[in-house]
Amino acid sequence: MLLALKGVSKRFGDADALRDVTAAVDGRAIGLLGPNGAGKTTLMRIILGLTRADSGAVEVLGINTRERPIEARAKLGYAAEGPARIPGLSGVESVAYAAELCGLDRRAALLRAHELLDLVGLGDARDRRVETYSTGMHQRVKVAMALAHDPALVLLDEPTSGLDPDSRDELLDLLVDLRGGGGPAFILSTHLLHDVERTCESCVILEGGALRFAGPLSALRRPDLAAYDVRVDGDEASRRRFVATLEGAGARIERGRRAGILVVHLARADPAAIWDAAAGAGVRIWHLDRQADALEEAFLAAVARPDAAEGSP
Amino acid sequence: MKDRIVSVGYRPLPPAPRRAAPARTIARWALALAWRTRATKVSLGLCAMVVILHVPQLVLTVLVSATAKRFADQGAGGAAPAALNVDTIIGDTQGVLSSFVAAQTYFTVFALAVIAAGLIAEDRRVGALDLYFARPLRLRDYVAGKLLAAWAVPALTIVLPFLALWLLAVGVTPAGLRASLLWLGFPGLVGALLASVVLATTVVGASALGERGRTIGVIYVFVWLLLSAVGESLAANGFFAAGYLSPARDVATMIEALLDVGPPSVAAASLKLRGSVNPSALLSALSLLGFAALGLGALLARLRREVAE
Repeated sequence: MLLALKGVSKRFGDADALRDVTAAVDGRAIGLLGPNGAGKTTLMRIILGLTRADSGAVEVLGINTRERPIEARAKLGYAAEGPARIPGLSGVESVAYAAELCGLDRRAALLRAHELLDLVGLGDARDRRVETYSTGMHQRVKVAMALAHDPALVLLDEPTSGLDPDSRDELLDLLVDLRGGGGPAFILSTHLLHDVERTCESCVILEGGALRFAGPLSALRRPDLAAYDVRVDGDEASRRRFVATLEGAGARIERGRRAGILVVHLARADPAAIWDAAAGAGVRIWHLDRQADALEEAFLAAVARPDAAEGSP
Repeated sequence: MKDRIVSVGYRPLPPAPRRAAPARTIARWALALAWRTRATKVSLGLCAMVVILHVPQLVLTVLVSATAKRFADQGAGGAAPAALNVDTIIGDTQGVLSSFVAAQTYFTVFALAVIAAGLIAEDRRVGALDLYFARPLRLRDYVAGKLLAAWAVPALTIVLPFLALWLLAVGVTPAGLRASLLWLGFPGLVGALLASVVLATTVVGASALGERGRTIGVIYVFVWLLLSAVGESLAANGFFAAGYLSPARDVATMIEALLDVGPPSVAAASLKLRGSVNPSALLSALSLLGFAALGLGALLARLRREVAE
C-alpha cells in the first residue's frame, strides 16, 4: 500500500485543518484535490513528519511515519509549495545539495543533479542562481530536488501554481512521462481538477479538512451523475412546461454558456427523462449532448456532499 | 554540428550504500556559500591581517630575547645562566599570544556576524527548513551541521593560527627553553578553543531567533561589544562581578588559571604581563558555559517549535 491514513486529525487553534481522515491509497499517480484551505498541505506535511498530527497514524509504503520518520523520509521526495530554496546556489548545486543531504556522495550527487536537470528541461540554466529563475523554472528545480535521491514516492505541493499555460503543460507532461517512464509514484496536490485528470489515475478529495473521496478517477466519474446540454424548439409556454416537468422529476436546470442551451443535471446518466419531458411538453429537441467534463461535476458533487467519503480503490 | 544534450528519461539510482554524515555536508555547503560573498572575504582578510601582524612580532620577540640571552651568557663566561632573559622570553611570548587571542576574538566576532549570523535565520526566511527536514535528516544533524559551520570560523581564525604561532615560537626559541614554551601554549590553546565554542554557539543561537542574517549580525556584534565594554569598565571600577559578563575576560581568566597550574617558572614569567582578570576561574568557566548554553538553548527551543520530530 502506497499510503494509509488512519484517523488523522489536526487542529490549528480553533480551526480543524484535518478531521479524522482515513484512507488507503495505491497506484503510481494520485491527485490530492481540494479547494484552497481544504487541508492538502497540512496532510502532506503530516505525511512527511514536518507537522505532527494531533491524532491518527500515517503509513507510507508500510512505514509508520511517526515511529520511523527517517526511514519514511528516505523513501519520500517533496516539492514544497513555497520558495523552499537556498539563495546563492545554482540549479545544479541545489539539486546536488539535496542529493547529498540524502546520503549520496559528492560525485554521485553532482552526476544525478545534471541528469535530473536535463530531465526537467533546465539543462541550459543549470549554472544560474536559483533566485534568478522564473516561477516555472523554480517549480522544475523543486521537482528535480524532490527526485534527487530516487524516492519511491514524491509529494508535489501545487507544482503548477503560478505557471503560465505553456509552463504548466510542460510540467504536467513531465509528470505524465514520470508516470509512464519508470519514475517514482507521486501525489499531486492541487486545486485544479484538470491537472489531476491529465496526470493521475486515482485521487483523494479533501474539503474543509474532511475526506470526501478516495479512489480511482473512474469511480469518481459516477455513471449515475450526468449533465446534458439541451436545445429545444417550441413556444415559450411549451419550453416552460418542459423545464417544469424536468424539475418535477428531480433534475436541476441552468442556462448554458451559449444562447438557447439549457444545462440539465440528472441524477442518473439516462437521457430518457429529457425525451419524456420533451414529449410531454410538446417541444422538439434540436440538440442533446452529454457534457464531456463529467469529472468536474463529480468533483463538485463529492465536495458538496458532506458524507460522500468512499473507500480505497 | 552543435551538440545537443537530451534527457534519456528518469533513471532510478543503482542500489549503493548511502553515507551518513549530513552535518559535514551542511557545514561544507554553508561555508562554500558564505565564501562567495565579498563581505566574507573582507572579514577573513582582516583576521588574516591580525595573524600576519603577530608573526614578525612573535619572531622578533623571541629572537631578540634569545640573542640578548646568548650575549649575556657569553659575558658571564658561562658561569651563570641569564635567568632574567629566560623570564623575558616566556613572558613576552605569552604577551604576544595573549594579545593575538584578545585582538583576534573581536575580529572573529565581526567575521561570524558576516558568515554565520544568517545560518539559520536565512533558512527560516526563505522556507528552507522544509527543504532539510523533508529529507532523512534529524534535528541533531541540522544543528550539528550549522554549529560545525559556525565553529569553523573561529577555528580558522583563532585556534589554528594560535597553534601555528605557538609552534613558530617554540621553533625559533633556543633548545633549552622549548619545554617551558611548550607548556605555555596549552592554556592558550584551551582558551582559544573555549572562545571558539562560545562564539559558535552564541552566533548560531542568535541566528535562530531572527529571519534576517544581516540584522542579527549587527545585533550580535553590538551585544558582544557592549558586554565586553560593560564588563571591563565596571570590573575596573571595583564592581568585579560585572567582569563575568565579558566573555573575552572570562576566557582570559581561564587561561591565567591554567598558567598557574603549570610549572612555577612559566607562571612566574608570565605574571608580569597579565591583565586584570575575574577573581574566580570557576565562575568564569560557569559564565562561559552559560553563554554557550544560552546559544544552544535558543537554537533548540526555536527549532523544536518549528520542526516536528
